[in-house]
Amino acid sequence: MKIKKLKNFAKNIRKNIIFTAFKAGVKSAHIGGALSAADIIAVLYSDIMKIKKQKILDDNRDRFILSKGHACLALYSALVEKKILKKKDLETFESDGSKLLGHPIINKLSGIEFSTGSLGMGLALGVGVALAAKKKQKKYITYVILGDGECNEGSIWESVLCASHFKLNNMFIIVDKNNFQQTGKNSSIMDLKNLTSKFKSFGCETVEIDGHDIKKIYKSLINKSLNKPKVIVANTIKGKGIKLFENDNNWHHSIITKSIYKNIQKEL
Amino acid sequence: MKNKTKYIEIFIKSLSIDKKKFNEKLKYNDIDEWDSIGHMTLVSGLEEGFNISLDTDDIVDFSSFKKGIQILKKHKIT
Amino acid sequence: MNIENNIKLWSSLGMRATFGLIAIELAKKHPNLMITTSDVSTSAGLDRYKNKYPEKYLDVGIAEQNLIGVSAGLSSEGFKVISTTFAPFQTLRCCEQIKVNLGYMKHKICMVGLASGLVLGNLGFTHCSIEDIGSLRSIPNISIVAPSDPFELFKALNEAVECKNSVYIRLTAGANSKIINAKDYEFKIGKAVEILPGEDIAIIGCGNILGNCLEAASILRERKIQCSVINMHTIKPVDKELIVDIAKKNKLIVTVEEHNVIGGLGSAVAETLSDEINKCKLVRVGINDFYSSGGSYEYLKNIYGLSVEKIIETVLLNL
Repeated sequence: MKIKKLKNFAKNIRKNIIFTAFKAGVKSAHIGGALSAADIIAVLYSDIMKIKKQKILDDNRDRFILSKGHACLALYSALVEKKILKKKDLETFESDGSKLLGHPIINKLSGIEFSTGSLGMGLALGVGVALAAKKKQKKYITYVILGDGECNEGSIWESVLCASHFKLNNMFIIVDKNNFQQTGKNSSIMDLKNLTSKFKSFGCETVEIDGHDIKKIYKSLINKSLNKPKVIVANTIKGKGIKLFENDNNWHHSIITKSIYKNIQKEL
Repeated sequence: MKNKTKYIEIFIKSLSIDKKKFNEKLKYNDIDEWDSIGHMTLVSGLEEGFNISLDTDDIVDFSSFKKGIQILKKHKIT
Repeated sequence: MNIENNIKLWSSLGMRATFGLIAIELAKKHPNLMITTSDVSTSAGLDRYKNKYPEKYLDVGIAEQNLIGVSAGLSSEGFKVISTTFAPFQTLRCCEQIKVNLGYMKHKICMVGLASGLVLGNLGFTHCSIEDIGSLRSIPNISIVAPSDPFELFKALNEAVECKNSVYIRLTAGANSKIINAKDYEFKIGKAVEILPGEDIAIIGCGNILGNCLEAASILRERKIQCSVINMHTIKPVDKELIVDIAKKNKLIVTVEEHNVIGGLGSAVAETLSDEINKCKLVRVGINDFYSSGGSYEYLKNIYGLSVEKIIETVLLNL
């Protein structure tokens, strides 16, 4: 692992998030939740996951599922960094007939495994894919990113129980815990209380880390559990990387105007 | 029992078992083939073979080959 | 395989137990088959299958939303998946997962809804399904089939497992169900079957309730009323060509289904007819958009106009 390389990858993801959101103009974009996930996605795509443009459909590739589909700008940006998508593809974001919409659309040739966005559904898909690996005796790992607000959905817990029951140690579930959901703080809308202990009690090997510490992210992702799914509760900051956006829930879904774009350039 | 040979034949055919697997001490769930589906197949076979109609109590009581003889007797098959 | 022997046996077993037997045959034919369920093995006749092919059986517990997601994940990785549980839970509990995974992403799953319609009326309407066809009809990319008897289920399931898109198969009636197809016949998803020829009046039905339709037609013949009976086993894609043809040749169409008259077979027929100019009258028999008190299958069929007598009455009233 080269920390500098990973940090650079994350920086480029953030640059592309802002660039794409700006290009979307009045169509607006989900910005805060993409920025909070940027470091996790950077480590996964830059180093951890076995995904290559030349072997994009390879049956042995690692599988990535962005269950919190509204953070798709981070995913698209990572795919651009891996040269699976082109930078000019980002300019088609949310345009008529585009393959890059405000939530991911299944497009395996472009590295997008599933259409997500309706919260609470991506984890079940991940369980199915991880079970398939066990049945086919394949070594690929399935990585699923959840939102913390998304953990309000009962369907998430159905899938967590299931992953634990079937001892899916070939699954990593990463929770981007930025403490906000659409209308406000998790704690005031539907308090998750101790999320880490919840996952533990559901039978997952669970660690809690700083979701912006590249070293810690990397370390948490390199060791599988013996016989349990692994959960990484990543404490993050919504809007991380742009001081103006950090912990301001107005940037959950908003427009980047010309002047704001100009002002935040120095941070990128 | 006059019809015993016929009863045994229907038994073996309905459960799709080898003659060697059959014995008169057989009870429901003793063998894989006499599971709930096998049971309904057996009931169907007996109804068809002896032209009788078994009611729910008969179907539930029919827990062994020997019990079957009693049930058939009830339906005048001896 | 002796078809006629099997027809009798399967009818006495009913559709659910027959499903269990068919599953075993399918597992022999398809090495990558997976049957997924939400805590229903015995109720689906799958105990024998489960014991014989444990590696091809997956129970995710009473969690239907997870069931569809997991099934879609398996399907995306090359497995041929059949998911099953009781019809209301198979279709409504996880309706959005069906939309997103099967409709939108087009992952192929064959869903089997157990004990649909009114057969479990003694357990109350939580366990009856009169909305399944209507809810799924508005999701693109899913075919909907209601086999008329266990023999037809055998044919439908075999075709459904092979075809490219997702299929929902709705099982009706219980043990000792009526035999609608006593001999071998040609079955194709999307192609309705005329099971009794006639003139002037056509009864179009789906599911085992066709048994009552045939009985009603036979009694009406004694009164010199020669209605035809059509088995419209596929509600989506509905056989538009045949419906239009029937409307041209008949004065009255009566649709009969164990489903709400809103959204099911009757609605599909009405939609087709609304696209054409025709003088044919259409009457929809089924659940008239209300939940009655619970009771036996016979009790409920009577309340909803689905008994033999009530079907006859409806035909006579609308002549």
